[in-house]
Amino acid sequence: MNSPAEFEAQANRVAGYGPLHHEEMDSPYYLPNSAFDALRHVLHDVGGQPALPVAYEEKVEEDWEMSTYVTCECLGWRGVWNSEERRRAENDLGATLYFGLPYYARWITVAAKTLINKGLITPDELSAKIDEVRARTAGGPTAGGRS
Amino acid sequence: MTKFEIGDRVTVKDATSMFHTRTQAFIRGHTGVVVEHRPAWVIPEDEAWGRVDDGRTEPFYVVRFQQTDLWPRYTGYEIDTLETECSERWLEPAGEADT
Repeated sequence: MNSPAEFEAQANRVAGYGPLHHEEMDSPYYLPNSAFDALRHVLHDVGGQPALPVAYEEKVEEDWEMSTYVTCECLGWRGVWNSEERRRAENDLGATLYFGLPYYARWITVAAKTLINKGLITPDELSAKIDEVRARTAGGPTAGGRS
Repeated sequence: MTKFEIGDRVTVKDATSMFHTRTQAFIRGHTGVVVEHRPAWVIPEDEAWGRVDDGRTEPFYVVRFQQTDLWPRYTGYEIDTLETECSERWLEPAGEADT
């Protein structure tokens, strides 16, 4: 599943998400204050940021999106977190993941990270559950029913 | 108890933000008008770290800005406005010179 060639293809895929023109940024030895100010800009504050046009799409809500929303709300009701914690956790994903993931994929990713941060689940429990569901649904998204 | 009333002209502080804020960069240092009060709530800078019980609570204000003030190359109408919410700590009374 993870041959050197596949690993390289995946690494190159992430590198390919960068804009066409960009400054080299690889753990630099020196960083001007202006660069630090730009880097610490809070990601969800997108007003006025340079961006490319986005095609408008009338998209119906998918089951996993509603399930994610409800799961995150329930975690709030049970006192695990609040919406502002979720937004901060999304920002803390960093630019590549923040803008790379679909909206609700950001939610479910940071829900999992928050549960681990707070000691409510462990990373290996999460991984084991993902593998269990993956095995059960190996024949397709509906083969084993909903988890 | 609110420091600002509807119609007051306020300037958004150009303070440094570390790690999390809801106060947009594009309104920092700009002057707008208070158009609505919002119920007091824990400020985002505390709520974002889960401090709902012991976080600092402040009144929130809806502030209206002229789009042409915010964006130098704005191409819309002169009368276009933008409204956003700020907690009290981010606002100060606008000076005479602030437009």
